[in-house]
Amino acid sequence: MSRILKAAKSLLGLALSKPMTFNFPPDAPLTERHRGRQLYKPDLCKGCKICSMVCPNNAIEMVQGEKSETNKTGLQPQIDFRKCCFCGLCVDNCPTEALTFTMYPFLLTMKPETLIYTPEMLAVPPELAHPEPPKIKSTVAWARSRSIWIVNYMTGCCFIEAVPWVASSFDMERFGLVAVGSPRHADALIVGGYVTPKTLKRIIRIYSLMPQPKWVIALGNCPMTGGTYWDSYNTIKNIGKYIPVDIWIAGCPPRPEPIGVAVVHAIQAIQGGYTGKPEKTSTDKGKMRVPRYPLLAAKPKEGQVDMVFGSQHSASGNFNVSLTLDGETVVHAEANPGYLHRGFEKLMEYRTWVQNIMLVPRICVLDGASYELAYSGVVEKLAGIKVPRRGQYLRVIQAELARIQSHQMNLGFGGAATGFDTMVRIIWGDRDHVLLLLEELTGARVYNIFNTIGGVRRDIQPDFPEKAGKLISYLRKRLHVYDDLLFHNKTFIDRTRDLGIVSPDMAIANDVTGPNLRATGIDFDVRTATPYLAYKDIGVQVPTATQGDAYHRYLCRRREIEESLNIIERALDKLPRGPVAETKTPEGRKITWRMKIPEGQALYFIEGGRGELCFHAISTGENTPYRVKVRGPTFGTILSQFPKLLRGVKMADVPVIYWSLDQCPADHDR
Amino acid sequence: MSREKFTANSFSATLKSKYPVTQSGVQGNILTLTVDTGTYATLATYLKEQGFTRCLTVSAIDWLDDNEFEVYYLVHHLKNNIYTKVATRIPRKKPEIPSLATVWDTAALHEREVWELFGITAVGNPMLKPLFLEDWTGKPPLRKDFNWRDYVQKEYYKAKEG
Repeated sequence: MSRILKAAKSLLGLALSKPMTFNFPPDAPLTERHRGRQLYKPDLCKGCKICSMVCPNNAIEMVQGEKSETNKTGLQPQIDFRKCCFCGLCVDNCPTEALTFTMYPFLLTMKPETLIYTPEMLAVPPELAHPEPPKIKSTVAWARSRSIWIVNYMTGCCFIEAVPWVASSFDMERFGLVAVGSPRHADALIVGGYVTPKTLKRIIRIYSLMPQPKWVIALGNCPMTGGTYWDSYNTIKNIGKYIPVDIWIAGCPPRPEPIGVAVVHAIQAIQGGYTGKPEKTSTDKGKMRVPRYPLLAAKPKEGQVDMVFGSQHSASGNFNVSLTLDGETVVHAEANPGYLHRGFEKLMEYRTWVQNIMLVPRICVLDGASYELAYSGVVEKLAGIKVPRRGQYLRVIQAELARIQSHQMNLGFGGAATGFDTMVRIIWGDRDHVLLLLEELTGARVYNIFNTIGGVRRDIQPDFPEKAGKLISYLRKRLHVYDDLLFHNKTFIDRTRDLGIVSPDMAIANDVTGPNLRATGIDFDVRTATPYLAYKDIGVQVPTATQGDAYHRYLCRRREIEESLNIIERALDKLPRGPVAETKTPEGRKITWRMKIPEGQALYFIEGGRGELCFHAISTGENTPYRVKVRGPTFGTILSQFPKLLRGVKMADVPVIYWSLDQCPADHDR
Repeated sequence: MSREKFTANSFSATLKSKYPVTQSGVQGNILTLTVDTGTYATLATYLKEQGFTRCLTVSAIDWLDDNEFEVYYLVHHLKNNIYTKVATRIPRKKPEIPSLATVWDTAALHEREVWELFGITAVGNPMLKPLFLEDWTGKPPLRKDFNWRDYVQKEYYKAKEG
C-alpha cells in the first residue's frame, strides 16, 4: 500500500511541476554550439580546396566563381546537404574561417536536389519560414491530418532523434501522432537512416502492407545518397528507387526539431488534400523480396509453432530472433543479426586516421561517444601521443554524460518492454536534457565527434560547469522518481525478478560485459581494472549486484547513472588548466587530418555504456589504417547469451529479457 | 582452473618455455604472441586451463602482399586482468584454421563472422553459415582484393529499376 501511495505521490508531484514538454516550434534558439547548416563568407575564402579534400562524404564540391584579390583560383565551395554529416572537419580545417557553422538545423524538402547549396545560397544566413497553413479541403482531410499513425520500425540510427518525439520532451501525441506496431493500421512510414539490403526487403514489404493513403518520411542523408556510407558494400544509396518518399530530412542524424517541422508540413499538406505519392514499389527484379522463413529451416514438431520476433516489432530494434514455441513457451531460439551491417571495418580502411573519428561513433548510435573515445585512444597509443590532462578530463565528462543517456534510454526501454509507457515518456524526457548538455559540450546531441587525435576539439564555455551542476542536481532528484515508478513498482518487479538469470560462469563463457556482467556479482570494469584517461585521479565506485536477473541488470544501470553523476561532479571540481589537445606527435610533426601513423599494432580497451569495448588497429605507416577491428560489447551478450536465456521462458518475457541486456544491434552488426 | 596469480611478463616467460613462440611482446597487461598454425589450437586449450576464460574475439587480417592471412584470437584472464592475443599466419591459397569452438563458446560465433567476411574456414565449427549478409554474391568483403568500389558501383549506383 505504501508503495502505491509513494508512486501516486510521485505522479502528483510530476503533475504539479513545470511541464516537461518543449514548445514547438522552438521559441528559443537551439543550443549555441549546435553544428547546423554552414555559412560561407566569400570575401574570406582563398579557394584552397582544403574543405572539399577533407570532407569524408564528398559533400563539398569546388565550383568556379569570380577570381579576386583574396581568392586567386576563384574556386568556391558548394555543399550537398544530401551528403553532409555536419562533422565539422571542413570548418576545423578552413585556414581563414570562411566556413562557419550556424545553429540552423532545418533542412527538409520534397525534392532532394534542392539540398545542393551553391556558394551564393551558402552565403545567405539561414532563416526559418513556416509555410502558410493551406485552406482545409474537407473534414476527412482535416481528421486524417490530425491522426497520423506511424509504423514502429526502428530501421537505423536516425531513429534515435525520432525517439524524443515519443518522450515527454517533444511529445508527438500533441500532433495526433501515434506509433503503431502493425503496418496495416499505419498511415506513415519513417525510414530512419541507412538501409541495408536486408532491411530494405522488410521496408518494401511493410510499405506494401500499409493501407492507402500512405506517406513516407525519410530521415537523414543515408536514404538519399548513402550519406556517410556512400561507399559501403552493404547499404542502399537511394531508397527513392524502391519506394516513393514524400519528405526528405537532411542531417546525420537530423535533430528532433526538423522532424517536427516535417510533421507540421505533412499535416498542412494533408489538410490541403495531399494524399501522398502514387503507390509504386520496385523490388529490383525480385532481388529485394523478403526470403521466405529465412531461418526456420527445419519443420516444427507437432504442436509447436515457429515465430519470428523482429525485425519489425515494437520491442525488437532492427534485429531478429527466430523462436520455436510450444504453447507460450520458447523451446528454441536463434539470433539473426545483420540488418545493420554497414561494413565499418572496410570503410575505415579507406578514410584517413582522423576522418575515421567522424565515422566510428556511428557504429553504435546509443553510445557513440565511447566509440570515438576508444578509437582516438587506440590511434594515440599507436602514435605515442599523450593527451593533455584537461583533454583527458573533458573526455571523461563526455563519456560519462554519454553513459547516463545510454542507461536512461535503456531504462525507458525497460519500462516499454514491461508495458509501462509512463516510464518511457518520463525517462526519455530527462534524457533530452542530458543530450542538450552534451551538445553544449561538444556541438552535437548524438554524434558528438568531440575527440580528435591528441585530445578534444574545443574547450568548454565558461558557463558549462554551472549548467552541468544544475543538470546533476536535477537528475539526482529524478533518480528517486525512477525508483518510485520503476524499481519499487510491484508490476515491474514481478515482470523482471528472477527472469533471465545469468550466472557468473555463463556470463564469462558467453562474453557478457558491462552492467550485465556486474549484475552477476563480478566486479569487472575497465575503468578500475585498467584505468585509462583520468579515471584513476577521479576515482570510480563500481556498483554491482548479485542475482544476475533482469531486475538487477536494470538496477545496476540505475546505480551507474548515480555514480556517473558523481564522476562528472568530481571531474568538474578537479578540472585542470592547460591545453585541451596535443598538436604535435612525439617526433615533432604536426597532427593533421592526413597525418601518417607509425607502423605497428595496438589494442585499446575502454568501458562503454554497454561494457568492455575493444579496438584493434593495425598500421603500415600510411595515413589510412591497414585494418581496424572493432569488438563491440554486445556481440557475445546478444548473439551468444540472449538466445540461450530464452529457452523455457514465456513469449511475453522475450522483450523484457532482450532489453534488460541493453542491446544495440548496430553495435554487433557494425 | 589454475587460481595462480601471475603478470603478463611472467606468463609470457612461462609460455615461451612451453610452446614454440615465434614472436612475443608485452605492453602493460596485454600479451601478444605469434605462433605456428599447429600450436594455435593447443595453446588455446592451455590458455583456457590457465584461467583465460573470456574469449573476446577471433578475427583476421589480410596481408595481401605476403599472400597470407593472419588469424588471431584475443582472450582475457578475469582474475589477473591480463589480455592475451595469439596470432598465426596461414596461406591465402588454403584458408583453413582449426576451430576453437570447443574451447570457448563465443569463438564459434566469431569464427562464423571470419568465415563470412574473410572466407576463412574454421575446421570443426558447426555454425558456418551467413551471419550478417543476406544473399551475398560478391567476394568475402573484408578481403583486400575484394574490389568493393566496383561492387558498390555495379550493385547500387548503376542498379536499374525493374
